Amino acid sequence: MPDGSYAHPQQRQFNPYTENGGTILAIAGADFTVIAGDTRQSEGYSIQTRYAPKVFRLTDRAVLAVNGFAADGNMFVKKVKQRLEWYRHAHAKDMPLRAIARLIQTMLYAQRFFPYYVYNILGGIEEDGSGAVYSFDPVGSYEREACRAAGAAQSLVQPFLDNQIYFKNQQLPPGQTRPLHLSLSDVLSIVIDSFTSATERHIEVGDGLEIYVVLAKGRGPQGLEAVRGAQELTTNAEGDRVFIVRRELKKD
Amino acid sequence: MSIMEYNGGSVIAMVGKNCVAIASDLRLGVQSLGIASNFQKIFPVTDRIFVGLPGLATDVTTLHEQFRYRVNMYTIKEEREIEPETFAALVSSTLYERRFGPYFIEPVIAGMQRTPSGSYKPFIAATDLIGCLNFAKDFVVAGTASDKLFGVAEGLWEEDLGPEDLFETISQTMLNAVDRDTNSGWGVVVHLLTKDKVITRTLKGRMD
Amino acid sequence: MDHFPTSWGRPRTEAYDAYNTFPLHQRPNPGHKDAFAEGVQRTQQPIVTGTSVLGILYKDGIMLVADTLASYGSLARFKSIQRLHPVGSSTVIGASGDMSDFQYLQTLLEELIIEEFAEADKHELGPAEIHEYLSRIMYGRRSKMNPLWNSLLVAGKKDGKRFLAYVDLLGTTYSASTIATGYGAYIALPLLRTAVEGKEDTLTEEEARKILEDAMRVLFYRDARSLDKYQIAIVNDEGVTISEPKKIETEWGFAEGIRGYGAQIQ
Repeated sequence: MPDGSYAHPQQRQFNPYTENGGTILAIAGADFTVIAGDTRQSEGYSIQTRYAPKVFRLTDRAVLAVNGFAADGNMFVKKVKQRLEWYRHAHAKDMPLRAIARLIQTMLYAQRFFPYYVYNILGGIEEDGSGAVYSFDPVGSYEREACRAAGAAQSLVQPFLDNQIYFKNQQLPPGQTRPLHLSLSDVLSIVIDSFTSATERHIEVGDGLEIYVVLAKGRGPQGLEAVRGAQELTTNAEGDRVFIVRRELKKD
Repeated sequence: MSIMEYNGGSVIAMVGKNCVAIASDLRLGVQSLGIASNFQKIFPVTDRIFVGLPGLATDVTTLHEQFRYRVNMYTIKEEREIEPETFAALVSSTLYERRFGPYFIEPVIAGMQRTPSGSYKPFIAATDLIGCLNFAKDFVVAGTASDKLFGVAEGLWEEDLGPEDLFETISQTMLNAVDRDTNSGWGVVVHLLTKDKVITRTLKGRMD
Repeated sequence: MDHFPTSWGRPRTEAYDAYNTFPLHQRPNPGHKDAFAEGVQRTQQPIVTGTSVLGILYKDGIMLVADTLASYGSLARFKSIQRLHPVGSSTVIGASGDMSDFQYLQTLLEELIIEEFAEADKHELGPAEIHEYLSRIMYGRRSKMNPLWNSLLVAGKKDGKRFLAYVDLLGTTYSASTIATGYGAYIALPLLRTAVEGKEDTLTEEEARKILEDAMRVLFYRDARSLDKYQIAIVNDEGVTISEPKKIETEWGFAEGIRGYGAQIQ
């Protein structure tokens, strides 16, 4: 129309969400948990940055990985950390892992009708000293598991984990048994392999890898020497301990 | 829902040391409803070539017949068996003939290719539904579980696997990938080709 | 005279471009009586827009560059608009997207700086704090489904630490040694990454300036909503300096020989 109007009015709604790619993963052992994520942040076919962390230390025994819409993810982590600090001030101790899990479910469900577009995986050590992984959907459904992958390459990584962690479709000769839990060095190798595979076949995965290792109180660092350059992040050496391992991934 | 996912099904082929393997699931479904657990998607072309045809079930039959006809014509005219690489070109051109009204199939080809010296070397290839060829050195995948197959295969596959190791690798890849796919599964069939024989094994899989 | 810019009509009709003022929003139907029948109207698209902003790290600090054009659709409406804005003494921000939303942000930041100054505690907000503040504003507005339609770069140097980060209308944030907004992310960023990555601590001011000028030239050649007049902002230990507008030197002699560009032969 010459006056700049349209015969049929065009409607374009503002979309408050986007996807920022990347993948996260967590595996629980008997007395440790490994939580990992790549560090690429992208939108569409553009890499925004090669280093944007998706995995965050919450306490000395809890690590949270967030994946999906980065702005929601960062805001959510900020709010979880704030609630944990309030808990610390009120109770003079860190919140237990299973309580953090329930807190996250409540916080996610509070946004049921305008959700945080984020998949969360919480990993750490329970009060009984066992390794634990909790995985969430964007509106707060959650369960405790031994291992979970989420994000862009979930469909590539999860079946590999089924095979290597749960030993799905593998049967042993009669009479033989398998150890109930994998060793830390095996888990770390599987995590690194998973991310190199995902990087190879998924364009939104790559650049860098951050692996957090949470060790139960009293457990030595055996298994951790399998990887170079583990850095300790623990604030109180008496309790559970948190380490971080960084690796390069392909940048193409 | 995409027509490519209407009936479900997946195929993978892998290269080993002096051998190749090709595997598929056995499910035929109509979206989420399972219909049959004995639906073959892999067909012998010659003694040394197999073709897997995941995609729309009606086109599986049509294309299989089409390929049988064209391979027979080739054999009569040339008075020799078709080689895997030639067959891949035949598959590609057959699909591209229907560029603007394609068959909804993404073929996977596995075979042992005769070399000028008289020995055999492993050959795999895959195309999209309009015949774009992909010759890979390691493995090719297609079907509703393709992304899962990519992930597991990338993690398990290594170079120069002997026949039995290759069989284990492709079987584990297939089983674990289809267990995470709602539209594939209900059993797996694996064909293992070496220079002088073909071993076909049917694997028991989850029936859910 | 009708002072509402969207009643002035659009200069051209063309395909929708996510980075620009198109389509212009509709005014309520004049026959429509109840102003609140469809609820509150919010910003659903930018009107007067600025194109790319580029930012890089170099040895002594950070450099931002932006041209001086504010477009109204495909019309080059305001050709001498400053899109780089100092905040406090150690920060500069650069804006692309809607210029009125940007000017609103400038007033917010001005209030913030004044409030901080009034504390008289010798404390000043640095680039990290400004970026945090902006991202909270931007994310807050997107969560109200009423976004400020901008992509912003925040650059600064405080206590010897360089800072360069991005925030946009969705509240998405990130930091990197080279960042570009809008078309710059497609056209200029690959050039900037090749020139800067790995050399952040060795590039001199002159080299950095040359890299940005070259990138701006490419943008001027290829981005139809750009101008050959630009400003550079430098933040180093001396503080913030924003240059006077400068011209990009261009060469159009080759155009003569290109079919469909210069005079038609054959």
